[in-house]
Amino acid sequence: MALDPIDLQVILGALRATCEEMGAVLVRSAHSANIKERRDASTALFDARGEMVMQAEHIPVHLGAMPAAVAAVLGENHAPGRSWVLNDPYAGGTHLPDITVVTPVFAPAADAEPELLAFAASRAHHADVGGRVPGSMPADSTTLEEEGVVISARILDEAAIEDLASRMRQPGQRRADLRAQLAANRAGAARVQALAQRTGADGLREAFGEVLDYAERRTRACIGELDDGTREAVDVLEAAEGDLELRVAATVDGDELRLDFSGSAAQHGGNLNCPLAVTRSAAYFAVRVLTDPDIPPSAGAYRPIEVLAPEGSLLNARAPAAVAGGNVETSSRVADLILAAFGRALGQGTMNNLTLGNERFTYYETLGGGQGACPDADGPSAVHVAMSNTLNTPAEALELEFPLRVVEHSVRRGSGGAGRYRGGDGMVREVEALADMTYSLITERRRHRPPGADGGLPGAAGRNLIDGEELEPKATGTLAAGQRLRIETPGGGGHGEP
Amino acid sequence: MLLGVDVGGTFTDAAVAWEGGIATAKAPTTPGDQSEGVIAAVTAALAAAGGGETSDVETFAHGMTVATNALLEGDAARTALVATEGFTDVVELGRQARADLYRLCAAHPPPLAPPDLRVAAPERTGPDGVLRALGADGADAVASRLAELEPEAVAVVLLHSYRHPEHERELGEAIAQRLPGVHVSLSHEVVGTFREYERAATTEIDAALSPLLSRYLRRLVERAAQAGLPEPSIMQSSGGLAAVGHAAGHAALTVLSGPAGGAAGAAYAAAAAGVPDVLGLDMGGTSCDVCVVDDGRVAETSERTIAGRTLALPSLDIHTVGAGGGSVAWRDAGGALRVGPRSAGAQPGPAGYGRGGTEPTVTDANLVLGYLPAGEELAGGVTLDLEAAESAVGALASELGLEPLECAAGIVRVAGTEMAQALRVITVERGVDPRDYALMPFGGAGPMHAAAIAEELGMRRIVCPRASGVLSALGLVVSERRRDAQRSVLLTGGDLTADAIATVTGELGDRARSELGDDAAELRCVYELRYAGQAFELAVTAGESPSPDGLRGAFGAAHEERFGFREDGGEVELVTVRVAAVAPGPDVDLANAGAEAPGETRRPARFGGSEHDTRILRGELPPGLALEGPLVWEGPEATLVVPPGWRGEVHATGAVLLERDEAAGG
Repeated sequence: MALDPIDLQVILGALRATCEEMGAVLVRSAHSANIKERRDASTALFDARGEMVMQAEHIPVHLGAMPAAVAAVLGENHAPGRSWVLNDPYAGGTHLPDITVVTPVFAPAADAEPELLAFAASRAHHADVGGRVPGSMPADSTTLEEEGVVISARILDEAAIEDLASRMRQPGQRRADLRAQLAANRAGAARVQALAQRTGADGLREAFGEVLDYAERRTRACIGELDDGTREAVDVLEAAEGDLELRVAATVDGDELRLDFSGSAAQHGGNLNCPLAVTRSAAYFAVRVLTDPDIPPSAGAYRPIEVLAPEGSLLNARAPAAVAGGNVETSSRVADLILAAFGRALGQGTMNNLTLGNERFTYYETLGGGQGACPDADGPSAVHVAMSNTLNTPAEALELEFPLRVVEHSVRRGSGGAGRYRGGDGMVREVEALADMTYSLITERRRHRPPGADGGLPGAAGRNLIDGEELEPKATGTLAAGQRLRIETPGGGGHGEP
Repeated sequence: MLLGVDVGGTFTDAAVAWEGGIATAKAPTTPGDQSEGVIAAVTAALAAAGGGETSDVETFAHGMTVATNALLEGDAARTALVATEGFTDVVELGRQARADLYRLCAAHPPPLAPPDLRVAAPERTGPDGVLRALGADGADAVASRLAELEPEAVAVVLLHSYRHPEHERELGEAIAQRLPGVHVSLSHEVVGTFREYERAATTEIDAALSPLLSRYLRRLVERAAQAGLPEPSIMQSSGGLAAVGHAAGHAALTVLSGPAGGAAGAAYAAAAAGVPDVLGLDMGGTSCDVCVVDDGRVAETSERTIAGRTLALPSLDIHTVGAGGGSVAWRDAGGALRVGPRSAGAQPGPAGYGRGGTEPTVTDANLVLGYLPAGEELAGGVTLDLEAAESAVGALASELGLEPLECAAGIVRVAGTEMAQALRVITVERGVDPRDYALMPFGGAGPMHAAAIAEELGMRRIVCPRASGVLSALGLVVSERRRDAQRSVLLTGGDLTADAIATVTGELGDRARSELGDDAAELRCVYELRYAGQAFELAVTAGESPSPDGLRGAFGAAHEERFGFREDGGEVELVTVRVAAVAPGPDVDLANAGAEAPGETRRPARFGGSEHDTRILRGELPPGLALEGPLVWEGPEATLVVPPGWRGEVHATGAVLLERDEAAGG
């Protein structure tokens, strides 16, 4: 090892701090509520070969999807001061609202040919990227075009900012968000250059290599502790046209792990499709849960993990399939499959997406539910369980702003599966409409209960009701003034015999 | 004489100030009853002051960790929660985010009022007023149900009570009548701001801790009276002192009492040394608190979490990282040298304390490098055992394949990097550059690491206050008295008028002044505003009757400074008004005319990988004394390490001002 254990820890700290600083700059200067308030954004550093050396992730769904964005621009013609932008789910992106900006970092050499040191990258969920509906997350889209502006990798200069913003809603906010991403990347670039001045360009390259090897060693050590062999799991998504089956075969071979999703349903006509990058993200999330979350998130940590999903399947969809729901719901099920294969009880497995609105307002919220029990602890109640971790809207804030009254917000007692360790309870949220409005629900685990493990019982399935009448898992319609919409989110599965 | 006593995790510090002098002393903290250690420290400080009498003490200010510890240990009263029907799980639900992204079963701390002690109030109030009246019957029913549950304390949190407090008041009266002697905290009174979870969590803390805190304070008042000391005033999280009776009734105000004294002391010492903009770095045995001081005042925040619980009350904005002198160094599975977050604590403590500890800590590394004196007694009565430290560091070194001295330097460097990153994050998030500030290290371990941290951040100046090891106690002596009142008003458009604002500040100001017992106290008004639709507010300071346009302009400017833009024409909403009534603290002359020439020796110490024959100064330093690294100053309670490349002198206040040589680079 070229770096001693001290320098290694110091450089790890410096890279982590750099990514966090980039994140702070981005959150500070962005305009979108999604970025500022829900921190739906991530920042990362890559080496000159496009390997991710560190990431500051605020939400798990970005975890493994950033490298695809840098890979998409790696072969372009890079020059100091030039940045790239993209969101095409089939060429470096995930779903359209997540826009990624990539900036190459050069050694500050005045005379010679500038030397490429690294890439700084930032991804942020923009509040709107055009398309058929405000917010760019239609519940019933069938093609990518309906979901917004598709950006193939292009140079991000002032003209590009103007062009993109002009095709989206709230263009002022779009311009500001894109500039915030550029500012974040510039902050990262400045730190990397300062680091290179201490270490030299060669020293930095070596240090990046060491950091990747370090994360790889730690991941291999964790995987090595798992028993060799193949474990399988099968689960379903509750699509409007019926259940779609997903399956995984997870094979531990020494200190390597192969996750093979062959046999999963083909891509469908709705929007539950995932580009491979989203499947990878969800897989890495599950592996992080099963190993050591303290391992720095880098390409090194993912070297011992192989993710296979047949092209044209729901988990490796081909353009131009719609993907809006894949990122929010299918990703949860991918994580579930892997956790189940390794004997874990499952959580609610959905974000319970609810949109309410009329010509005067739009309101979107996601709801927590029961977490699956762990082999050594009860599952927490009424929390986001997997790929999201965003805050709720306080009832007082909701009632001040929208024609809604919250009738009940409570823990759904007894909905967690029994077990040696209990699954967490779901949540009840009931709202009364004070004006006529439309509703749209994208929810899962309404037909199928979140399973327990090792003899633990499943959690209760979720329910969506209007004035006591039950709805389908995916539903849109009208909520008249005085009507009450009640959502009971699923409980988590229990672990071990009760 | 003015007295300040601060209770820390390991030691209780006392400072006395009188015309012409300051004396300080330490005594071991007595966890069973902190008041015992308090009196012991006072006795020692008075002795150090040349035999002062308790009857000479005019004021007695106290910072403590009773409420904090109770929160950390879940040591709460039997607490019931009364909430609007349909919302009794408000604290358990929180904001629905899980505690850790990847440790799926990591739990938030359980609510202080368990499910079987939650009572639904048959009422409903909306943003525009009462929708379902509580009535006398409703209030009685709640009180009867509570009586069956036999709580020691009750928290009452009704929806929209920040604006319509009538039902909470009715319940408060009914409960007081039915359950006399039971502590009651009403959310509109304790907190007064909107967002039901944050208000409820804070009110619950207030109720659950107040019985315990008032018992402690009653004992302290008795002991103080027996010793002939005046009644203590209590440090609040806001950095201002409260009368003991008021603090006893509102435990939520004192959850950050301990660290607030240190931050207040840092701000005072910085201003006195003529360096009003500093980053405070308070490093003790188990953790490190950092804060930003602008123009002599510690930055504040209106909401924070403590031990995983939300507290929506004004407090000094102090950020804590788990790196202290007792932090344990270890090798991780990937072969990197790590420091903390686990600490050797007070027992067994660092290996070098000779109490049976065998794991290498930051303190052991400092001892091995020659920054701490081997074989001599430190403040607090610990004698350092170099051999034990060397053997602990040596074992880790061979595990890592390093030379022992290399390993020791590495432990100090890694710990310093962690603290530097904490400082970088708190400054970058505020949009300020650490290089525009001086670093003010204090606490037992801060000054030892200051230079390395400053270098890491590109900072060129260090201000190390005199009495840096007991700065918290000194901070208590000089602190202002303060009482806060706040209310969410949510005014926009035509409702946001100068009259409406002045009415609110008038009411809040009257309440704060009367509770402070000073009708002429200065009022500090803070206005929290947002663009309509945003989910967070920015605080703006203005007078008692600002014009709406003045507030809008100040908010736009603050938004631009913090976030880099303003929305011209965006509708501005005044969300919350906070008023603090403040009576200034005493001025203390920090100059120490009596300081004689310090003791001086030499010993080898390591800097930058090589050994230097290093000048060691011991005792108080006289003003004007020039200092140049390499040098170690062993002050009465803390050790300052000055590496080569740093030089400076002792300020009239006894603070050491250091600057980095330009040639040292960076």
